[in-house]
Amino acid sequence: MPTNQIDRVWRWQITASAAAALLIAGLLAIGFGPVNLNFLAIIKTLLGLPNGLQDQDRTLLLELRLPRVVLGALVGAALATSGAVYQSVFRNPLADPYLLGVASGAGLGATIAITNGAGNLHAFLPLFAFFGGVLAVGATFLVAGKRFADPSTLLLAGIAIGSFATAFQTYLQQRNSAALRPVYSWILGQLTVADWDVVKWAGIYILIALFILIRIAKVLDALMLSDEEAYSLGVSPQKIRLIAVAAATLATATAVSASGLIGFVGIVVPHLVRGLTKRATNRSLLAIAFVGAAFLVIADLGARTLLSPAELPIGVITAFVGAPFFLFVLRARNRGA
Amino acid sequence: MIKLENLSVHFGDVQVLQSISLDIPIGSWSCLVGPNGAGKTTLLRTMLGMQPYSGSIQFSGQEIAKNKNLNIAFVPQRPSIPAAMSVAEYVMLGRAKLDGWGKESTKSRTIVHEMLETTQLLGMQSQLVQTLSGGEMQRVLIARALVQEPKIMLLDEPTSALDLHHQISVLNKIEEIKAKGVTIISTMHDITLGAMYAERIIIMQNGRVLLDGESSEVIHSPELRSAFEDRISVHLLDNGRPVIVAAKRD
Repeated sequence: MPTNQIDRVWRWQITASAAAALLIAGLLAIGFGPVNLNFLAIIKTLLGLPNGLQDQDRTLLLELRLPRVVLGALVGAALATSGAVYQSVFRNPLADPYLLGVASGAGLGATIAITNGAGNLHAFLPLFAFFGGVLAVGATFLVAGKRFADPSTLLLAGIAIGSFATAFQTYLQQRNSAALRPVYSWILGQLTVADWDVVKWAGIYILIALFILIRIAKVLDALMLSDEEAYSLGVSPQKIRLIAVAAATLATATAVSASGLIGFVGIVVPHLVRGLTKRATNRSLLAIAFVGAAFLVIADLGARTLLSPAELPIGVITAFVGAPFFLFVLRARNRGA
Repeated sequence: MIKLENLSVHFGDVQVLQSISLDIPIGSWSCLVGPNGAGKTTLLRTMLGMQPYSGSIQFSGQEIAKNKNLNIAFVPQRPSIPAAMSVAEYVMLGRAKLDGWGKESTKSRTIVHEMLETTQLLGMQSQLVQTLSGGEMQRVLIARALVQEPKIMLLDEPTSALDLHHQISVLNKIEEIKAKGVTIISTMHDITLGAMYAERIIIMQNGRVLLDGESSEVIHSPELRSAFEDRISVHLLDNGRPVIVAAKRD
């Protein structure tokens, strides 16, 4: 049968496996910690069945572990998905929310909000971060100009814009000594702040952004072609690019404003999923979101337990894994070119 | 008939195409020649409907800009592939307009298989596009356009990255496509090859059409030499075929 030689572009089973991985990661992260909880009891408690966890364990599960794991999953999904989308939009395999300066721009936006006393408004912090992120990605794009598809040009522009945003942010935080502590603890990139209020607002923005991105995922594949080819297939590439960058930046900015700067998720997860499945299509976005969520939930488990009772910033864990991975991608790419 | 009437395109204040009028017969192969900056690629992009224009471009009486359902394929000079993508996945993208994005029918998989066979890429379907040679890549671009089952195929310098052997094999492939009734409009730097394959040559310079007609006539015209500022000369081989070479001005 000749058609059997042409594999399907995507299989739903891959997405289902990624969802299963997230479930397992979530359960592990909820169960393990300075105090270990019984898995069966966790499941019973979550499903509202009898013989679940009681008293302190119940509070630990519902008020501490669960919001933290949910926030970790949301942030991981947001960073991984927006990384994958930036890579498609900029036709650049090394594009990542961190390296494009989006995260630093969002950080600056959030700092402006915190130093002006809006830090406790979880509803507005992501919006400030969003405008900071949009400005940064716009500036990076403008500086890189027509060479945005050239990895080195885009990354150097992103690094310069990111450094500028970080410098401005440091200036603001030093000038407002009262805000120094909250800004600093937030920059370190931790999920310790998670409570249900943070989760609620981060969840709303991130899920809206992810919904948009996953809705347009199929058409995003047109951006793998030249603009002329995309157009000949009935897609207006500029319009899709604009929607995709806006939604990805909203996801990134919300992730940054909820949990600070956590690097490399946006580059590790998309490359991992695309490499393992040997597929470049953006139909993988939902699977990438699940794996990104699982990755960050596990990284946070490491952050909580490796130096227990002390905590490592989660950004340290993602950088430990991500930086070598990034260099590997860079090297593989240079060899391919 | 593809009918261009008084077609003009502006980039800001600059007029890139100036009142172009052409009649291109359906099922023919027309080759645009002219120096860099003559407006060849812009003309292709305009015929695709990407570029706002004044005047009209009609395909069988329908205005191209107003008819999004016209199936016109475009083969770019160079690919732009961001991710590790397999040959089959890339070619399959060409089915999106017919199947809808994110779907691939069994028929589409059969057609992709057929076109990979036609372009001698079968066996390479799982290979990553980045690892292909120039000639293989060009055939992938053509296969991607072919699965679109287009009525018109626009090709921007389809042979510029290739050695002579691969140039001939790609051009023969395009000739087969034309034989199936697809109208071919290409740009080509190599006028000798253009004249060998295309039955019509359109000479462009500074956004204007200097001459348009049968290849055998156009090639000997003073307009061709004038477009290249008299820096070319035409020689005839023993079999009567013309060869165009660069000439040094005295």
